[in-house]
Amino acid sequence: MTSLSTPLPFDPSRKPSLRKRFFSRPMDTVISLIGLSIAAWVLWHLLTWAVLNAVWTSPDGTSDVCRDIKGACWAVINTRWRLILFGLFPYEEQWRSTLACLAIVIVAILSCVPKFWTAPRLGLLWIAGFATFYTLMAGGVFGLKATAPSDWGGLTLTVFIYAAGMLIGMPTAIALALMRRSDLPLIAKTTGLFIDTIRSLPLITILFTAALVFPLALPQMLIGDKIWRVIIGFALFFAAYEAENIRSGIQALPAGQEEAARALGLTYWQRTTRVILPQAFRNALPPTINQFVISFKETSLIVIIGFFEVMASGKAAYGSGDWAFAWVEVYVFVAMIYFVFVFSLSRYGAYLERRLRVGKH
Amino acid sequence: MLSIFASRKARRFVAQAAFLAVIVLVIGGAVYQARQNIAAQGMTSGFEFLTRATGFDIGFKLIDYTPYSSYGRLIVVGLLNTLFLGILGIILANVVGLIIAILRTARNETLNILGTVYIEIFRNIPMILQAVFWYALLTQLPPPKQALQGFGLFLSSRGLYLPGLNVTGGSAAVFFLCLFVALIALTIFATSRRFSRVPAARRGLIRWAIAAIGCGLGAVALYLGRIPDTSLLSLPELRGFNIRDGIRVSPEFVALLVAMAIYGGAYIAEIIRAGFLSVGKGQVEAAQSLGLTPWQVFSRVRLPLAFRAVLPTLINQYVWLFKATTLGIAVGYTDFFAVISVSINQAGQTLELIGILMLGFLVINNSIAFVLNRVNKAIALKGNQLRS
Amino acid sequence: MRDIAIKITDMNKFYGKFHVLKGINLTVSKGERIVICGPSGSGKSTLIRCINRLEEHQQGSINVLGTELDDNVGHIDAIRREVGMVFQHFNLFPHLTVLENLTLAPMLARKISQAEAEKTAMKYLDRVRIPEQAAKFPGELSGGQQQRVAIARALCMAPEILLFDEPTSALDPEMISEVLDVMVSLAKDGMTMVCVTHEMGFARQVADRVIFMDQGEIVEQGPPADFFGAPQNPRTQKFLNQILSH
Repeated sequence: MTSLSTPLPFDPSRKPSLRKRFFSRPMDTVISLIGLSIAAWVLWHLLTWAVLNAVWTSPDGTSDVCRDIKGACWAVINTRWRLILFGLFPYEEQWRSTLACLAIVIVAILSCVPKFWTAPRLGLLWIAGFATFYTLMAGGVFGLKATAPSDWGGLTLTVFIYAAGMLIGMPTAIALALMRRSDLPLIAKTTGLFIDTIRSLPLITILFTAALVFPLALPQMLIGDKIWRVIIGFALFFAAYEAENIRSGIQALPAGQEEAARALGLTYWQRTTRVILPQAFRNALPPTINQFVISFKETSLIVIIGFFEVMASGKAAYGSGDWAFAWVEVYVFVAMIYFVFVFSLSRYGAYLERRLRVGKH
Repeated sequence: MLSIFASRKARRFVAQAAFLAVIVLVIGGAVYQARQNIAAQGMTSGFEFLTRATGFDIGFKLIDYTPYSSYGRLIVVGLLNTLFLGILGIILANVVGLIIAILRTARNETLNILGTVYIEIFRNIPMILQAVFWYALLTQLPPPKQALQGFGLFLSSRGLYLPGLNVTGGSAAVFFLCLFVALIALTIFATSRRFSRVPAARRGLIRWAIAAIGCGLGAVALYLGRIPDTSLLSLPELRGFNIRDGIRVSPEFVALLVAMAIYGGAYIAEIIRAGFLSVGKGQVEAAQSLGLTPWQVFSRVRLPLAFRAVLPTLINQYVWLFKATTLGIAVGYTDFFAVISVSINQAGQTLELIGILMLGFLVINNSIAFVLNRVNKAIALKGNQLRS
Repeated sequence: MRDIAIKITDMNKFYGKFHVLKGINLTVSKGERIVICGPSGSGKSTLIRCINRLEEHQQGSINVLGTELDDNVGHIDAIRREVGMVFQHFNLFPHLTVLENLTLAPMLARKISQAEAEKTAMKYLDRVRIPEQAAKFPGELSGGQQQRVAIARALCMAPEILLFDEPTSALDPEMISEVLDVMVSLAKDGMTMVCVTHEMGFARQVADRVIFMDQGEIVEQGPPADFFGAPQNPRTQKFLNQILSH
């Protein structure tokens, strides 16, 4: 799916006054008024439920304070947010989770700075960020208590799987794209078959296969933790889609680029890494960012494999006891978490798209 | 000796041979290891299990199925469930997408804002979260005794009850088959070159004829399949603690359908909108200056051109939506994937079942792509001398 | 006094703050052939696009065939049926055949039956000398052929006035003459034409009046003999020197 938030071309004659935009013809006025009143009605009810009548904290830690109220019970978030964000990670160590997630967020923000847009810098940045994340979480060194990935949960687990998946997936995508464009027919066709097969399967199928089927086909020592198999499945899925984006980026280059590089006597690797790939990535940047956005949303699927990621931890937070009635508030909270990440990423993608288009001609 | 490697032909040969060797080794090793592991765990391999009885029942089924039915039948049931949900979901997503796209491209800015808000909200939240949310909402509805009613429909925690027909499952299937065949015939007639020389007056007639025959045969099938001693129309009504008669649509199905329609609709709306934006301003102006009304300009010029521009992207989106039906397992809907995973749990035979799963999806996706690509080619703009 | 086809009085148009048409006064009689020329950005295309309401004017009045041009949708539709337009980039509908392009508007806007519309369409295709292309799609025709189809499409609506917005500017040189020939023959048949063009040969041959526009105003107008022979305004002289020197 392509990102399609194209802005309309700016025509100075088309920014009329507020009155003209909303009320120019009688029909327009009627529609505007109806639309505005519906929006106002919805917003009013939303506001009263979510803010005015809401209960924000629970002084005694139980749900009694929320019984029989007409508004939202945000107290459930207030008392259970640790569960949602960190899963079952030990209480005293949760500062490590916070720092680890912060590290990844900082790395993501830094990746948006054009200064970092060379392969070695980006690679180093992400590897450093991920290493920080892993050391902080897994512990065992620097006096940090050791934990296994099976103890990780909540938003932290989501971020971990996402970061690991992208870190493995991106180089794989580049490799797959180059292999598919190889002029050795066996390699090109096999890779093509591989990519097309993965793209035609649902992600759940691939995760499921990775989690349950791989152990059957691997010797004992390679099996490893379920989480790593799932990450590899996730990375492969991402790589298949991203490989197609990169391939389109390469194909959009004028043929003269490759020819000129060849004529200058550059080897295959030199050509590819210095001439073709940098330009191809410039072309492929918008769909790539879009792919990143989609992948973040898709991390939610690992709940089906039985991982305690943010949706599962949310469900545990309201549980079936005390707070069971507050499921709406919990789901809204989880939705907001996703919304913040996904919206920022896609806004950034749209900004990049505009910037690149202005630069072209 | 090393001079062999100086020749490009030799290098290419060696590279491909090495690649082939690696692949053979990996796949061979995997197969060998799998055999070992399976034998060690005492499982059998092979497809005989497909004829064994399953021993369990499932929630949603379109054709007859009991715990005595075989695994093979179970898989077919799952496949039909997926097809049913997928097709219905795609249709609804298109409807929603069209509405939102119209809102976004309308001249009135309030409508634009409403459309944008919708898209931003529902595109940025994962679909599985939306499906789980709707499912939780539907299961919190009042029990059948206090179900919400309106227009002959009942909405309760046990599902949505619609008026239905008292016919056997087989005749209902034949009815849909007749409609489906009629639709295929119409598409072939409209897009195939062989029929393009039929004069216009006859074309309309032939189209009506095909539609009439399709509906007629379907109606006959329904009539012949009537369950004796019952009225044709089966209206749901509350009797005792439960609602009887009518068609019950389970909350799992409704939740997933709603999520598909809303989420898919948001994406399709953007695709359609991009299509409209790509229609050249010049064509629209030409249509306007010929004196066509705004509706005629829209339906005869903007819509057909926008449609041709976005069909390839729409095809990708439809394939994606079909794959999204696998979310059924998160809400308890027994789609193809859910059925396979339950079978793996109960019968073992992991490799064979995964193989069936992959084959099923490959077939579905490639069929959709094949059919729609034919349509795409048939309606594509011809010639290469166009200036916009 | 012959009938008035178009009467523009004190018309001003703004794009935001930019004053693009300044105090335009223009009267076109029925059967008159007007050519408008001028440097790019002078507002000549904008002027004729105001006549069929593809652009809106903010001040002054435009009266076409007795109907005042304003926000009234009924007026606009009535005027558009009687005023045909030929665009620089042809703007044929690529998803319809040539014949369907020609019959679409008469069937929908004038409610003519399909058989009659097709008869008229073939007649005009004959007129522009490409009857054999009726079943082809616009993408399969050359630029010159596409523009001739566009002229035929406008003619099928039996308009009283034909507007031309630089009809030959997007054509390769060898195709310009085939389109100009069609326009000359239309002029000979008495069609009221307002034509924005750089083809001065056509203006000399066919126009009753040539108008020079610069920076949004009508600077000078007159019959071709006077206009080309003895231009009064120095701006006109400068412009004519530039375009007639090669």
